[in-house]
Amino acid sequence: MPGTISYTEALREALDEELGRDERTFFMGEDVGAFGGIFGEAAGLQQKYGKERVFDTPISETFIVGGGVGAAITGLRPIVELQFADFVSVAMDEIYNKAAKWRYMHGGLFKVPLVIIAPEGAMGGAGPEHSQCPEALFWSAAGLYVLTPATPADAKGLLKSAIRDDNPVLFLPHKALGNTTGEVPEGEHLVPLGEAVVRRQGGDVTLVAWSAMVLKALEAADRLAEEGIEVEVIDPRGIRPFDFETVLRSVEKTGRVVLAHEAPLPGGPGSEVAAVIAERAIASLEAPVRRVGAPDVPVPQSAHLERFVVPQTEDIVNAVREVAGSAVTA
Amino acid sequence: MPERERLLDFYERMVRCMLWEQKLLRFIDEGKISGFYHAGRGQEGTQVGAVAALGPDDYMMYAHRGCGYMVARGMPMSKLFGDFLANTEGSTRGLGAGIVHIAWPQLGILGQSGTLGGCFPIAAGAALSAKYRGTDQVCLCFFGDGTANRGTFHEAANAASVWKLPVIWLCENNQWAVSVSVREATAVKQIADRAGAYGMPGEVVDGQDVVAVYEAVSRAVERARRGEGPSLIEAMTYRFRGHYEGDPDTYRDREEVERWRKERDPILLLANRLRSEGLASEQDLEQIRARVQREVDEAAEEALGAPMPERERIFEFVTA
Repeated sequence: MPGTISYTEALREALDEELGRDERTFFMGEDVGAFGGIFGEAAGLQQKYGKERVFDTPISETFIVGGGVGAAITGLRPIVELQFADFVSVAMDEIYNKAAKWRYMHGGLFKVPLVIIAPEGAMGGAGPEHSQCPEALFWSAAGLYVLTPATPADAKGLLKSAIRDDNPVLFLPHKALGNTTGEVPEGEHLVPLGEAVVRRQGGDVTLVAWSAMVLKALEAADRLAEEGIEVEVIDPRGIRPFDFETVLRSVEKTGRVVLAHEAPLPGGPGSEVAAVIAERAIASLEAPVRRVGAPDVPVPQSAHLERFVVPQTEDIVNAVREVAGSAVTA
Repeated sequence: MPERERLLDFYERMVRCMLWEQKLLRFIDEGKISGFYHAGRGQEGTQVGAVAALGPDDYMMYAHRGCGYMVARGMPMSKLFGDFLANTEGSTRGLGAGIVHIAWPQLGILGQSGTLGGCFPIAAGAALSAKYRGTDQVCLCFFGDGTANRGTFHEAANAASVWKLPVIWLCENNQWAVSVSVREATAVKQIADRAGAYGMPGEVVDGQDVVAVYEAVSRAVERARRGEGPSLIEAMTYRFRGHYEGDPDTYRDREEVERWRKERDPILLLANRLRSEGLASEQDLEQIRARVQREVDEAAEEALGAPMPERERIFEFVTA
């Protein structure tokens, strides 16, 4: 029997269940102790598991991630949190060089079972350094898994799988999804890492959408269906590993593709996907690939202006219409 | 261990570090490996003295100044040669570890951060792990005077102190960060002066005196095992060769270099002490050197016989 819970509650359940399951896991980060995490994702966990298992850190992002790596290569399975995903830049060496590469560069002698939770995305005026979606920075981070859950079921199932996986995972829940609700299967719920999910089937246009854009993509697909355009919505659930096969299979069927993400267009999640489509499926294309993303500007502090940066459902609708109606001309 | 045996053990380990490196330098001369090696000659007293204070289950993050850390710890020398020859005998099984990324988990050798200062948070994390698991393991983290200026030290040292983690921060102050003198790059007279800012003891020790280093690090290890937290030890030392093989070394005063080589060689200093205190004859020491030389030669032969990896090797161990 599935239950309907919020996205934040799903994250909390995943942490609770995995802390309860394996004593080698612990959770550390800024304000994750008695305070329960600034988004409530750790509410009650310190009270339940004690200060040895769930604890606050100093404001020290290189230590939070690097310390997690040190604990992971010595037999533990740490879960650490960067309070905002933007802070990956503070701990970039620890994520990109240490967590991702420690196993490889030391000849496979270590495993790095580390999960880095880092809430991303715009949520009402948090500003240029607390609103970004940095997943595409990690396209080249061989060795690292990068996940972007879009639903409560995925928030729980992907996080639980990430905690059990022997590889380092950068887990990026979207802040604006915290209060969204959805059905989550009761009992043990695990979602495999690196598998895209087709959220809606359709034969006219392939719409690949990440994170919060998945919800807007599904709204857009509903509206477009009324116009007679059947959209296939694919949620890749992250960046690495990337399920190119599911995307390419759909593109070969539809011949038309829109890629939608909240990050800016240059170097965003869609860039690499567009490149791979060009390499492997260009003969199937009946229209140019179209991307929907933020313009090439930082996220403004003003919530009033932020709306003009974050792509909206209408932007996706317009892009799909354009792709559906156009043809590749020589 | 009785005093005489302990001193002879220190002597043998320092000789092993030196002779292993001599063989490696010959490989460089013969073109078998590249010159990206940062020779450790001159710093054996610090490396051997500190490593000798560890127990078998303890962790170690080494620095890039030679391989004395691993040799002193007892890592098979053939594996170390293999890492430089980039063949399958190496600890990274052909990836080519060079001076960084050698690892040997069974002796707690956790690898190295190629970016200087990346070691600090990882060492604190390994110590956190030991405390979490309720073991009495400690983590010995080596770093140079140059690396001491990374901000990661601040984050890791503070966290280690506030949580009383079992870390020994061991600064090998050889007074030169490549071509820049410590006096031009560091605001305090001694790196150990910073310890007070983190609420931990700091101590300056003569890095050329293997016994003094051993005793200082042993005290820090005991303190860490008692749950009293980290210590910062600054060993004053000097590198006898350039930063890397082929370094023109124009930035150092020749007299300074010669003075350290002649008067402050940690191996000669210990040999003098052993002889003057009647603990060993020159013949005893010569026997040790000859035996270690045979070990080094055998290890080199074993490593030279190993095959190079195939192209497929680059795709192995990216993920678990």
